[in-house]
Amino acid sequence: MYKQQVIRRILLSFFIGLLFPLGLLAQNTLEVTAKADSSSIRIGEQVKLHLKATVPAAVFNKPEFRLLFPIVPDSMDHFEVVTRSNQDTLTQQGMKVLQQTLTITSFDSGHWEFPPLKFEVYGATGANSVDTLFSQPLAFDVNTVSVDTTKAFKPIKTVQAVPWNIWDYWPYMAGGGAVVLIALGLWLYFRKRPEKKPVEKLPLVTPYDLARQQLKSLKAEQLWQQGDIKQYYTRLTDILRTYFEHQFGIAALEQTSEELLKNIKPVTKLNQQRDKLRSLLAIADLAKFAKLQPTADEHEDCMHKAEEILEWTRPKEEPVAQAPGAPEEKPQTGA
Amino acid sequence: MENTSSDIRQLNEKIHQASAFVDLLNMELGKVIVGQRYMVERLLIGLLAQGHVLLEGVPGLAKTLSIKSLSSAINAKFSRIQFTPDLLPADVVGTMIYNQQKNEFVVRKGPIFANFILADEINRAPAKVQSALLEAMQERQITIGDTTFKLDDPFLVLATQNPIEQEGTYTLPEAQVDRFMLKVVIGYPTKEEERHIIRQNLNPEASTPIRAVIQPGDIMEARKLVREVYMDEKIEKYIIDIVFATRNPEEYKLQKLKPLISYGGSPRASINLALAAKAYAFMKRRGYVIPEDVRSICFDVMRHRVGLTYEAEAENVTSENILSEILNAVEVP
Repeated sequence: MYKQQVIRRILLSFFIGLLFPLGLLAQNTLEVTAKADSSSIRIGEQVKLHLKATVPAAVFNKPEFRLLFPIVPDSMDHFEVVTRSNQDTLTQQGMKVLQQTLTITSFDSGHWEFPPLKFEVYGATGANSVDTLFSQPLAFDVNTVSVDTTKAFKPIKTVQAVPWNIWDYWPYMAGGGAVVLIALGLWLYFRKRPEKKPVEKLPLVTPYDLARQQLKSLKAEQLWQQGDIKQYYTRLTDILRTYFEHQFGIAALEQTSEELLKNIKPVTKLNQQRDKLRSLLAIADLAKFAKLQPTADEHEDCMHKAEEILEWTRPKEEPVAQAPGAPEEKPQTGA
Repeated sequence: MENTSSDIRQLNEKIHQASAFVDLLNMELGKVIVGQRYMVERLLIGLLAQGHVLLEGVPGLAKTLSIKSLSSAINAKFSRIQFTPDLLPADVVGTMIYNQQKNEFVVRKGPIFANFILADEINRAPAKVQSALLEAMQERQITIGDTTFKLDDPFLVLATQNPIEQEGTYTLPEAQVDRFMLKVVIGYPTKEEERHIIRQNLNPEASTPIRAVIQPGDIMEARKLVREVYMDEKIEKYIIDIVFATRNPEEYKLQKLKPLISYGGSPRASINLALAAKAYAFMKRRGYVIPEDVRSICFDVMRHRVGLTYEAEAENVTSENILSEILNAVEVP
């Protein structure tokens, strides 16, 4: 009896002695695992699949070491990969643990095996070594939802109302508040702004009236009597040209005497006044550009001709035009 | 010295008498040249204002005939130089030739030694030949070897350019085009004029030869009178306004022209516009310049002095369009 006990202890010690170095060995080798949260799911239910690789720190720190996690396709036989987490690295008891979590599901009912996953290890045992490790295959029971066909079908449920929350409506409330504030600001601005002074209306003068006034003023200035003959004729022709420009819409100020005589013809019937205008412009050109000194009678005559031309081309109806700015008038035919 | 009213009156009478030859010249030239009054008038302006004329027009528009007839009517020496790609400056101005008998180099003067030069198709010759001619035009003298020769007076160069054939041509640079007082663009004659041309050419015996109605000395006298034509300060201001409007159009409410003009008229443009206006007034037998004179000559003086931008070229805007806009915007005195 005692002998049997001794033999049993020796054998036990022997086996324990055999297991101890194996445990040490396991601590120093590279391991890969694939574990699921559950092996039984309902159809379409998602389950987490944890891929894990445990690497000794000494191996992990080798510069040439590289571990490639399995590339699991999005869809494989009976299984679908829904999401994949990033690879994570932890240090546990002197070992480096690399892990990744996949969320998988299945839409086929039955008993299915998730295949072994291939991990590739480079540089673990030597500079150029390549090792391949496989995880254990995993079995899943995919169950359908049990339907009690003996019972009657229930009606489809209506859409459920979401409980009311004030924060769901904050953009609308902020917009409304902004509109109210702007309206308030505008109201305050318009209430307090200084009142506009009534615009002083300028007296409306026709080109004809303006020219008459200017001729009168030119007469009153007695330029030729004071010897400023050039200025007298310059002013006289400018008054007429401005009148033609505003009354008949021709660019008389930018035209030479000949051009003016030519261009005024289609817009007004000057008849015998045309010769008067020609004569006036000719004398004015001589006075302005050739220092001609016309006689006093010629000065008076030119003024008289200018007045006659104004009267002749005076519009029958009084069109409204603003003076002294540019009057907006259509060309009109003289009497 | 300030011109007085009586001075201008006297000058006017003097010019009225002295300019009578213009009508004579026109009559004489009218015997052989049908139409082209515009071109002939511009040639006379160039002659009287001591400027040269660049003529642009298709072949066969009586360019050669005009200048040849003008030289005959003035009893002046005429010379025609056909510009070609292989022409050399010496072919224009002359060169030194070795005389074996005398055992020395002698000067052989080129065709430029004449009163009237027709530089036909000036843009066909290379730049060095163009430069030789344009330098002579400016300096009015030629240096061959060690000797400098003054060119004859009057000296008028009429250069022609063909506007349609640009292949294999040497376009005149802006700086050289500026040396021409006038750039005249001539067109085709009217139907009536064309009929006269046909009849005249079919019956050459009937045409009378041009006779000299004046002498080169008369032209020199007329040139002096042209310089004396009175130009009022208002006209000077008008000329300056036109030239400045080509440089700074925005100052004349012509902002839209600003992107179309790459460069405006130079001071030489103002000088030539004033001179040409005086010559035009002289031809109209007046002793003073009026705005019509400036406007009449403005396009010919300014068209080659207004540079166009790529934008203007893309929009088919010509320098004439720009000048029209300017003349319509600048106030006439």
